[in-house]
Amino acid sequence: MEALRLEGLGKRYGRKPILEKISLSVHPGEVYALAGPNGSGKTTLIRLVTGLAFPSEGRALLLGEDVHQNPQARRHLGAVVEAPAAFYPYLTGRENLRMRAYLAGVKEEGRITEVLARLRLLAVADQKVGSYSLGQRQRLGLAAAILHRPRVLVLDEPTSGLDLEGVELVHSLLQEMAREGVAVLLSTHHLEEVSQYAHKVGILGGGRLLDEVVLEGRKAYRLEAEPLEGALALLKTLPQVASARIQGQAILFEGEAEAALGALLREGYRVKAFHPQGFDLKLYYQERVKHA
Amino acid sequence: MLRLLVFELYKLFRLRSVQLGLLAAFLLPFLWALAPGLKEVYGLVLASGWQVVSLSLMAGMEFLFPFLVVMAASESLGSEVAQGTLKSLLLHPLSRTRLVLAKLLSALLYPFVLLGASFLGSLLAGLPHGLGGFYGDTGLGAGGFAGVGFLSAQEALGQLLSAHLLAGIVLLPLAALALFYATVFLSTTASALAAVATLLLMRLLVAFPALTPFLLTTYLDLHLRPNAAGLGLPLLLIYTLGFAFLAALVFERKDL
Repeated sequence: MEALRLEGLGKRYGRKPILEKISLSVHPGEVYALAGPNGSGKTTLIRLVTGLAFPSEGRALLLGEDVHQNPQARRHLGAVVEAPAAFYPYLTGRENLRMRAYLAGVKEEGRITEVLARLRLLAVADQKVGSYSLGQRQRLGLAAAILHRPRVLVLDEPTSGLDLEGVELVHSLLQEMAREGVAVLLSTHHLEEVSQYAHKVGILGGGRLLDEVVLEGRKAYRLEAEPLEGALALLKTLPQVASARIQGQAILFEGEAEAALGALLREGYRVKAFHPQGFDLKLYYQERVKHA
Repeated sequence: MLRLLVFELYKLFRLRSVQLGLLAAFLLPFLWALAPGLKEVYGLVLASGWQVVSLSLMAGMEFLFPFLVVMAASESLGSEVAQGTLKSLLLHPLSRTRLVLAKLLSALLYPFVLLGASFLGSLLAGLPHGLGGFYGDTGLGAGGFAGVGFLSAQEALGQLLSAHLLAGIVLLPLAALALFYATVFLSTTASALAAVATLLLMRLLVAFPALTPFLLTTYLDLHLRPNAAGLGLPLLLIYTLGFAFLAALVFERKDL
């Protein structure tokens, strides 16, 4: 069963659609990154998924339970929806977590210390949150989100406001959570960083899910051939080639290398260079958004 | 639920408007006790410390206490929206109705704490005038402050406790109204202004005599007219429950 499933989720304010028919799913152990330009609807989608806002159409299911019909569905959810995460400034970090633990039904005091240590906040745990830096508050937000061992983690820009060390800490935490079977949905502008471990990337634009890119096992190749346009046209006709496009003086394509190369040589194209290339998510994203 | 309520109370009494309000309610009686114009305004020459208590209640209930209660109820939700903690709360498996209910109960307790602070401050401010029996009245019974004869300390205390209790009940629907507007506007200022504007508008409806007995504003001076409690108390309770129901209804489907 999917840990998180969105079925035709839409949101409109008056006549203005903000999100339209978003359907996606995240399985346990999967990291799903939401990317899109500002105003594309990422934050609205996060608010809908977490039950903070209500959809105009469709539904959001957390482990099969509708998050808008049943508040108890949020027992599976850990989330940070603001950057930096919000806490009561007159309480210490530990007291804030204790309050969250009560709301989430966590009874072990040791778990609070455990997550504070995991997010490297033990040294400031007994200081009032009002004195925390933005980065510390953001890390405390993550500590609160994982406190009750959620099965679905939803994060809006989790690395916003963090220094390099903090960014690495968050990425390693998310990978660890995914390895433990937690489904992670996060919105981000830092595609290069998340492409290292995300399984899928959803590209949002104009309130719609423009594309869903599966990163796992994706192989891309860079090819220099003459004539370039003809080679591109040929590659696009091959069933073994998933996608092909021109980048500068070369063609970037995804698919089976042997089939593509064989076809080009058979048709008499002159292949000057051919080598595997890591899938360039950032470039793909830019082109996808540009052509949307 | 009890722990949630305790936490809501803790947060409410951390609000600056609430702390300042309690301080004002406690200190203002000392000012009234020294005010030089009491005779001109209230026809009162202080004969007893009990009169300081009733004077503080009357002066406070004219505007200050209703305003403080409206501000506190508005801020109990508005401050959470402003600092972003409301979203954090609702990310947990906590029903919105329970949260509103906890906020409402703490906001409904506040008028009594406020009046308690005023009562305590008034007693201390009235001490120099004595808290024994006296010839005159608290201004809450027949005959105004002049009274109709000797009033014992027990009678005075009884009158004042009953008046404070009624005043507290009068403030309940105002707290519920402000919380309702807070769920609509999610802003302290907007909800406080809307609540005050609603009360002002309601006051204008006295031009419709058939409506007057059913208006909330008709009973804002119930502490001075305990004989009107027969219709007034049930109506105030109905208004409180009605506004609370509306607050829960609006908040249940409110986008955050």
